[in-house]
Amino acid sequence: MNLRPEQLVKVLVDEAFYYRKAFVGAFIVISLAILVFGLLWPKGYTAYSSIVVDDKKVIQPLMQGAAVTTDVADRGRLAREVIFGRKMMSHILEVGGWMKDNPSPIEQERIIQKITKQTTITNVGKDIIKVEYNDDDPQRAFKIVEKYTDLFISESLGAKSAESQAAYDFIHKETESYHDKLTKAEDQLKDFRSANLDARPGSDADIGTRLNQLQQRIEQATQELREAEVKKSSLEKQLSGEAEVTTTLSREGQFRSRIAELQSRLETLRLSYLDSYPDIIQIKHQITDLNQSIVEDRQRREAAKAAGRVIIDEGVINNPMYQQLKQELSQTRVSVEMLNARINEARRQLHSELELGKRVHGGEATLAELTRDYQVNRDIYQDLLKRRENARVSMNLDKDKQGLTIKIQEPATLPLSPSGLRFLHFVIAAPLLGVILPLGLIYARLRLDPRIRFGAVISEKLKLPLLTAVPHLWTPIEAQIIRREFQWISLAVTGTTLIFAVVIALRLMKMI
Amino acid sequence: MIMSKIEKALNKARTTGSLRVVSPQPLSHDKVTDDASAVSNMTALIEQRASVNEAIACMQEKSRLARPVLDQNRIIYPDLGENGAVRAFREIRTKVIQKSQGRNCVIMVTSVTAGGGSTFVALNLGVAFAFDAGKTALLLDCNFKNPSLHRLFGAGVFRGLTDYLENSNMDITEIIHPVGIERLRIIPSGGRPEIPAEYFTSLKMKRLLDSVKQRYRERFILIDAPPMTQSADTQILAEMCDYVVLVVPYGRVTDSQVDACVKAIGDKKLLGVVFNNEPSPPTFTWQDFLNPLRALWQILFHRLKTTRAG
Repeated sequence: MNLRPEQLVKVLVDEAFYYRKAFVGAFIVISLAILVFGLLWPKGYTAYSSIVVDDKKVIQPLMQGAAVTTDVADRGRLAREVIFGRKMMSHILEVGGWMKDNPSPIEQERIIQKITKQTTITNVGKDIIKVEYNDDDPQRAFKIVEKYTDLFISESLGAKSAESQAAYDFIHKETESYHDKLTKAEDQLKDFRSANLDARPGSDADIGTRLNQLQQRIEQATQELREAEVKKSSLEKQLSGEAEVTTTLSREGQFRSRIAELQSRLETLRLSYLDSYPDIIQIKHQITDLNQSIVEDRQRREAAKAAGRVIIDEGVINNPMYQQLKQELSQTRVSVEMLNARINEARRQLHSELELGKRVHGGEATLAELTRDYQVNRDIYQDLLKRRENARVSMNLDKDKQGLTIKIQEPATLPLSPSGLRFLHFVIAAPLLGVILPLGLIYARLRLDPRIRFGAVISEKLKLPLLTAVPHLWTPIEAQIIRREFQWISLAVTGTTLIFAVVIALRLMKMI
Repeated sequence: MIMSKIEKALNKARTTGSLRVVSPQPLSHDKVTDDASAVSNMTALIEQRASVNEAIACMQEKSRLARPVLDQNRIIYPDLGENGAVRAFREIRTKVIQKSQGRNCVIMVTSVTAGGGSTFVALNLGVAFAFDAGKTALLLDCNFKNPSLHRLFGAGVFRGLTDYLENSNMDITEIIHPVGIERLRIIPSGGRPEIPAEYFTSLKMKRLLDSVKQRYRERFILIDAPPMTQSADTQILAEMCDYVVLVVPYGRVTDSQVDACVKAIGDKKLLGVVFNNEPSPPTFTWQDFLNPLRALWQILFHRLKTTRAG
């Protein structure tokens, strides 16, 4: 059952009364223990200083994109890294006077750990770092915080400058290296081009065209050659069947053919006419005349032959067909020769073009590679050139302390009053905890113990008619005992209060 | 509060003799109004009560117990005034009378566990009934195993309930004893604690209860019974009673124990639960013990006195 606040208070008071001795005992023990603890609690003086780290000055928007300011995301962490470094700590050891006793390295390490524990570095806002140091000596606390601040500022600026310098140096070195590479690539490209003049862009297509032309020419010439050869063989064949000289009809022959002709005409006439017919007689005469002429011609020819004279026989002449064929054959032979020569020439040219083509192909691959190298190197080199300039500006910014401004917002002061838990807090906490802790224990017991301690449980939880709650009826002897107990309790509480008063007084008089 | 005032007024009237019985006047009118009948009833009641009071006043009383003895025995008395315990017992008494509608009844008081304070509650409830001059109370100590009421009689052996139940010839009057508290009579447990529980169911026990109940109409009979969780007798006794008052001591019993007891008693008989022994500091003046110098002086003085005496 959940008790209402007033019910809870009543039960707590009842239980506190029931366990009065233990309650008061616990109160005295707890409060005195806290008082003693408060006396032993070391006094701490905290000195602090605030540092403003501002990297967003007017220069940054102006140099946007050109210069890169060092990004300090977690300044507190960065500050811790810097301050708790061994280099800083050795300075701090000297400033704090710990090095006077020449401590061993192990002792130094222990002191450094102690100093680190007592130092708090926090980010107050975005750009303000607060450095706090707690020490039992206010003078030392002040000195150490002052030293922390100075060292941190100098270290931060130095580190930033060094960082940008290092960045510039690196980029510069890289730029130089790429410059060399680029020059080398340019030279290689130049050498290759001068060595392979024909290896120009487009050479490949020209060669192809030329090859095609040559092929066509060869094919055409071959065709023509074949035709010429066919023609030649045909002419030779024709020529073999043709007589060199043709015999025409001689005069005798002409006479004979005339006689034959007249004879046939005579016979025809004779079929119809008598020999007496004038035409027949005339034809007979003509035949006779002709026979005569034959005899005369024969004689003359023989006479000439006998005389050794050349007789021009009107019947023998050179064969014109033969002459013509012979001429054509000769021409065809010439053309065959010519075509053969042309084909050979074309083939030679083709071969030469093919050779050239092969060479051009190889050269182009090399050229592409060299060009690619050159372009990559050129791009990187140009980019690096830009970056180097940016880095140079950044470096100059840091050199002129324009990139990051660190200044002391609140300088360290000598702490006049102790910080943290003070004796006063313990004095206040002692009686409060002395009451609260035993009450807490009683409350815990109430929560854990199921036994009925409140009348309302009977009526509200068990739903039983509660007649009444009867309080304890004290006998006179019991009342007397209680009275005595309360006297002791009162005395003990007063005694505790007196102890408190005395301790506080002594503390105020700085005696303890 | 109202009851206490009535008691005081009646006591005062009785002692000064100002309380007179007025006999009803004969009615001359034919019309009898309701008011008149009510008045006559009231008068009759007062008359009856006066006669009872006279009878009660004639009860033989032992010499009154001194206040230190009452204090020592944790017995309340009207002069305690606004003491929480007195107020509580008056409240219980009022509720009992309300429940019984003014008629006398047999009430058993039992505790959930031993040492729960049933005797304390029964005795003081009887005393609270006896505060009223018009009522008497009879307390039966049925807690044979651990009887405690006999201590009120001081030295000497008194016959009690066990003797009566054992001895058939004994008269009831022999076991009813005055204790020095007006209008309160006690039947102690008697000298035979080994009596078996079966006696509770005997006819004699039943007759005893009936006779003590019917003898005086204004007499409330209270039975101090053993704790419920320790004795089976209690349940037998509960059967014979009109009502049962269950005493739950502070911080000693759990819900389930109370629940078990209530189930054993039954809802009809259960008059109610008394939450007993709530811690509360005695009514001192705080200066008595919060003034440390005085306390110190008292302690030192006490020491000096004892050493000198030694």
